Amino acid sequence: MVIQSRNLQKKYKVFEKHPGIVGSIKNLFHREFTENFAVQPFDLEAHRGEFIGLLGPNGAGKTSLMKMFTGITVPSGGSLQVCGHDPSKREIDFRRKIALVMGQKSQLWWDIPALDSFLLLQKYYELNEVQFQARLSEMAALLDVEKLLKIHVRKLSLGERMKMELIASLLHQPEVIFLDEPTIGLDVIAQEKLRAFLLDYHDKNDTTMVLTSHYMADVEALCDRIVLLLNGSKCFDGNIKQFEQILGKEKYLSFHFSEAVDPQNSIFSGFDPKFSHENSKVELRVPEEKLNEVSLSILQQYTVNDYHTEKLPIERVMKTLLENPEIMKTNVSTT
Amino acid sequence: MKNILKHYASVYHGFLQTSLSEATSFRLNFFLFIIMDIIFFCSSVMSVHIIYQHIEKIGIWSLTEFMFFLSFSLLVDQIHMAFIAENFWYFSDDIRMGNLDFFIIKPISTIFSVFFRHIRPASCINILFTGAYFVYCSKQAGLSNLFILVSPLFVILALLLMVSLEILLSCSMFFMVESMGINFLRMQFQKLSRWPDFVYGYMSQKVFTFAIPILLISNAPIKFLLNPTDITPLLYMLIAIVVTILLIRIAWAHGLRAYESVSS
Repeated sequence: MVIQSRNLQKKYKVFEKHPGIVGSIKNLFHREFTENFAVQPFDLEAHRGEFIGLLGPNGAGKTSLMKMFTGITVPSGGSLQVCGHDPSKREIDFRRKIALVMGQKSQLWWDIPALDSFLLLQKYYELNEVQFQARLSEMAALLDVEKLLKIHVRKLSLGERMKMELIASLLHQPEVIFLDEPTIGLDVIAQEKLRAFLLDYHDKNDTTMVLTSHYMADVEALCDRIVLLLNGSKCFDGNIKQFEQILGKEKYLSFHFSEAVDPQNSIFSGFDPKFSHENSKVELRVPEEKLNEVSLSILQQYTVNDYHTEKLPIERVMKTLLENPEIMKTNVSTT
Repeated sequence: MKNILKHYASVYHGFLQTSLSEATSFRLNFFLFIIMDIIFFCSSVMSVHIIYQHIEKIGIWSLTEFMFFLSFSLLVDQIHMAFIAENFWYFSDDIRMGNLDFFIIKPISTIFSVFFRHIRPASCINILFTGAYFVYCSKQAGLSNLFILVSPLFVILALLLMVSLEILLSCSMFFMVESMGINFLRMQFQKLSRWPDFVYGYMSQKVFTFAIPILLISNAPIKFLLNPTDITPLLYMLIAIVVTILLIRIAWAHGLRAYESVSS
């Protein structure tokens, strides 16, 4: 077991500041604190080589979990073991086994070339010259950044910087890698390259990886297991297939008609129809067993220019769940 | 133990490399720092000379003794500026911005990473001048060659006390988050420590010798060097160093436990 948490909790004390001059002066002398649970009792077991996606809306507790997993913050309750260590003790051996990549923060020195930062990391992790050069040249080649190693970090694009961040975090070949929104802000091409690299690294090294991301494409491409967090609690823990079927075994059915249709037609009702502005297109959510029947009756009634079907994509499931969190209370699926 | 020291020395070598790489990226700034240090050094020396043009003694010291004290204090200050000072400003930002996260997960003492990683190479050059001036003033004050040779040890002790007091003070940044005030307080303490203790009133002298022992930084070594028969000031200094380091261990552990990083 690489990660094992039982009833893990994190609460933060925050004070509410009243606005304006009077509020600011009052705030100097008296503060009203409230306690917020960022993570409610949380259980997780992760095995070597798993690639887990931690999903949830902003403020769900994903980053708080990552910070407890890496020993940056201390849990308010429960127990946690990562690579056989209690992260909150911050033992040196533990720190050698983990890596953290944060899409919104940089561990590289801003005003020097990335190569200088890598040389410092070589000393931090006591890598010999052969190891260091081999790993650096391999990763730099895979990420296509060999020519950028001697350029000042502040002169690199966001995508290039992120690639350097990845190299910096993986030089010491950690056993567990925590990736906190590594593709945030990147263009589609850069996202794809980063995903391909991570997948390749994961396959070659059998490393355990935990990823948080708001891009469902990251999760679909990389993760073999999804853990969904809502308001600090785990709402789902399973594979992507199970996640996709969380709303039932449904598919999306789209029709493009030759002319406007009547949205009130009972043929569409019960399938959550979404009509285009001019009522010439419709998108339906149809249970798998009714797919043929519904398609046939629509094709018989209307002149259809085009139609297609797709499984309920993870992005849509996620959106539906975030808009209707109560679904999880009645439809929890865990492994 | 040998391996640990080797590891720390190697990382420190890395800090030197990265700091030099950073400093030389901005050439004009690099030379401006050298000029700024020279101006600071000259103005400190000249202001004391100007005072002594009007009076014969300050307290019990003549110009020669005072300049010996001042040159020691300036040397300690210069080394401090070159090797440590910047890190306290970065630490305040690292806590507020959550960049401390990366230091906490590095496989080495977090205190070491936080307070020793930024070095100002431009200020290293002026250590040569302040060092030479200290030797000159030591000779003027009648110090024997043996004492001049062992004086680096006292410089190290003074630095150790100064830095450990500053680190202890900086631990409060974990709880304050916005810490500009602490950094300015730290600088005021530095200013106070650059004067001989006898210029202060009785209560101030006691407070800044025993409660917040900043006056021991330069006063204790200089008093000993001028009068080696009395080791009391040096003993006070050693006790202050040990107590401060012990307090840092407690305060730092508390601070790290309280650290909440920042939201993403």
